[in-house]
Amino acid sequence: MATLTLPNPVTDKVIAELEAALGKDKVRTDLGARIARTRVPAPFPVHRFAEYMPDVVVLPETAEEVSAILRIANQYRVPVVPRAGGTGLADGAVPLHKGILLDIKKMNKIIELDLINRTVTVQPGLNMLKLNEFLAPYGVFYPDDPASYPVSIIGGRIGTSGWSLIGSRYGHTRDLVISLQVVLPTGEIVRLSDGGGAPKVRKASTGYNLKQLFIGTQGTLGVVTEATLELFPKPEAELAAFFGYESFDEAYRSTGALSTSGLGTLAAVILFDERKVEYLRRDDEAYIPLPERIKAVVATALYGVEEEVRAAANRLFRIAKETGGEYLGDELSAGDWASRHDRYATPLHGRLPDGTVVPMSWHCEDAAIIYSELPAIKQKWHEITDRYIRQYGIFDNWGMFFYSNNPYKGWGDYLVEIDIGIWEQALNEETWQAWVNLKREITRATLEHQGSISACHGACREGDAEFIPVEMHEGGFELMKKIKRLLDPNNILNPSKNYLHLAYVDEEGAP
Amino acid sequence: MSDEARVTAPETAGGNGHRPVREVEQEFVRGHLLQAYGCFSSGHKFCREVCPVYQVTRNEQHTPTAFHANVVAIEKGAAHLEDVAENYSYCTLCGGCELRCPNTLFVGDFYRNRTRTVKLVQDMRAAANQAGLGLWPRWQRWVEATMVGKNEPVLDYENIQPVDPNRVADWAKDLPFEIPRGGENILFVDCEAAYYRTSLPKAVAKILHAAGVPFGLMYEQWCCGGPSLEMGYPDHARYLAEHNVADWKKAGAKRVFVLDPHDYISFVDMYPQFFPEEELPEFVFMIDFVAELLDQGKIRFVKPIEKTVTYHDPCRMNKRLGKWEAPRKILRAIPGLTFIDVDHVTQWAYCSGAGGGFAVEHPDLAKKIADLRIARAKELNVEALVSACPWSERPLTSSGREQQLEVLDLLELVAEAMGLND
Repeated sequence: MATLTLPNPVTDKVIAELEAALGKDKVRTDLGARIARTRVPAPFPVHRFAEYMPDVVVLPETAEEVSAILRIANQYRVPVVPRAGGTGLADGAVPLHKGILLDIKKMNKIIELDLINRTVTVQPGLNMLKLNEFLAPYGVFYPDDPASYPVSIIGGRIGTSGWSLIGSRYGHTRDLVISLQVVLPTGEIVRLSDGGGAPKVRKASTGYNLKQLFIGTQGTLGVVTEATLELFPKPEAELAAFFGYESFDEAYRSTGALSTSGLGTLAAVILFDERKVEYLRRDDEAYIPLPERIKAVVATALYGVEEEVRAAANRLFRIAKETGGEYLGDELSAGDWASRHDRYATPLHGRLPDGTVVPMSWHCEDAAIIYSELPAIKQKWHEITDRYIRQYGIFDNWGMFFYSNNPYKGWGDYLVEIDIGIWEQALNEETWQAWVNLKREITRATLEHQGSISACHGACREGDAEFIPVEMHEGGFELMKKIKRLLDPNNILNPSKNYLHLAYVDEEGAP
Repeated sequence: MSDEARVTAPETAGGNGHRPVREVEQEFVRGHLLQAYGCFSSGHKFCREVCPVYQVTRNEQHTPTAFHANVVAIEKGAAHLEDVAENYSYCTLCGGCELRCPNTLFVGDFYRNRTRTVKLVQDMRAAANQAGLGLWPRWQRWVEATMVGKNEPVLDYENIQPVDPNRVADWAKDLPFEIPRGGENILFVDCEAAYYRTSLPKAVAKILHAAGVPFGLMYEQWCCGGPSLEMGYPDHARYLAEHNVADWKKAGAKRVFVLDPHDYISFVDMYPQFFPEEELPEFVFMIDFVAELLDQGKIRFVKPIEKTVTYHDPCRMNKRLGKWEAPRKILRAIPGLTFIDVDHVTQWAYCSGAGGGFAVEHPDLAKKIADLRIARAKELNVEALVSACPWSERPLTSSGREQQLEVLDLLELVAEAMGLND
């Protein structure tokens, strides 16, 4: 039997040292502080609430304070879980072994705006909307635009390697971060950029590309304490166009044609399947009603200077029309696009099989799947989900989205989302395990179709994490474990996330 | 925990005697569990960046999401009421979070399950006080002093000493005309305006007088009771409210003019919970009434005011009651005035920090909120910030002094533009 090295519990001595390093007001052990940082919006085993409560919350304001926290944690071998906005959809910030919860939200300063070189340097606790409010008078913007744009924060975007709704035009988080200051698990503070160390250089071949190594690690390798970000000219023109189709197959083919159109201003292509359209008709009073003949929808958006967008719009409308799309009008298009951040949060309620409305938690699957496999994945995921709904009666199927997933282009792989409601109030261990099994079946289907488990949320949860070694079976996971061990010898940083407890098993164990 | 709560309401209001904390806890959880799951299961936290308190503390435990998560944690046995109650003082009850909640924006009304964070916070404060937790000594003293002075102790924030109830109408003494007692139209002057910002009720009296609207004062005006409710003393709130309703009845009041948003929301939101509708007069917010008089040509702006200003939406009007048009209409009608508007939705995130008892219990954080509001106005390169809420005007004026920005009251500005100060 392999032995697992798990971190130690937080003792009074640890708390005393944290207080000595940070001051008492930045170290909180009260239940209010701990409860508030127990979960993220992903489905949560609420019947085991106390299991996930951290022991102590720390609120650092500088890289030096973060470093002090990690040094203390290393000395006493207690876990540290970094938490940014706490809006992640895959449990990256949920403590699995209690310990120290490191909340970076107080680190929200804007350090430097460099309009000549088009960069802004910030602390990681800043929200993107607030950053853009600051940037607006200068005619520039930071185009990282997730659904949680009004509330999520930059550190979490880096920690999860976030996906942006307009990423096909402007790139995603990893493309928008020029350089990082990171505190390593052992407390050293390092500056890393793309292939070198110059803070404002976007591309270099001087050294290893260490910047990307620290993006999307879910806080398992380091804590970002500063980031230099890319600035774009504020778009002069923004055009959203929604098209309706009489079948999913037609909409799917049209998605392919639109995303390979070569239009440089194309910021997003989003395909809604029949079940998504049905769900919106059924339960979303904010949705602008679609004609009954419409069974699937493709949403597109163009961003750029006015002349470009005007010309691109002509081409876009022509392609959509030639491939069976019916323009759904300015009101629906502009309105739905403008409310894109709020609308993602709509599923606060779902229905039980008998139609009863209950508050439901939202699972947002986010596999990355290549274009050719989309129809097959859609069929499998719905079949799996519907089977569990019939058997357990506490889930709801809210349909699927397929989003263009690549930077600076629409084609390739898609972020594939099935939205599933979970009636948390009714959860017990049996139904929670049923949920995890549902999740596992979805993940298996993803891997069968050459997909990756997560496009942007991370594969931190049960039902995802145990499949990382499967997906990365050609040596990738072995390398991940070596890197984790090298940087975090005492397994203190977000331990057991991404199945990385295996990095500390003294003989290889398989899931 | 401090000594046992000393606040005792007069017999008519019922006691504020302690109840067993587990009993209070159960009742509290039962009353809020469904809404709590609505928020907890969603967990989207769109409310957070509009919350005035979170904006200055950046502490996730002072957010609406945390306030709801605590209810679920208590239900699941992970915490008790007394472990988390203190956090609920970190709220100005501005209501911005409720508006920003996707539950409100999209489906809450449809499913009759709208997020009600303001009520949640008020109920938790009341529960903590009922259980005698003694968490907020300054609120307790404030309500005690209100019971003695029948009005809020606004003249001494530091030591919280009662005001003299006999001086509630002193502000009217040096007006060039007499205001009678009683009558069909009653002007209600809130505590802050009656004792501290007396220039405001004077301006309002002059406006009504000039417009030829007959009005009187109450025989004995008491605090509206709203702050007592907000600090977790609903019985005391009701005691004060009962007196006011009886006074209006005696006066034969059909219409009550209200110059303060906090009074106004007490009258239209809290009073109907205590009294049947037919026992209450019509409540008219003075800003709305001025806009109406302006429309009807019953008042005129004769004196240009050469200033560049922006406007501060009072939280209770804009966020809690959805009233934001009338003040803008008035500002646009004042000759000479350059009005730089910040739309009312952007202002969901703005607050002066004065409301919900926050400034009494957390004066340092309240000051940070006021400082931030003034800094936002300063960015617009205006000469003055106009508010329509006397409670906001004290902290804003103080922060404005530090940052060199004048703070004006809208109704006082109206009186000035009508030439009533000449």
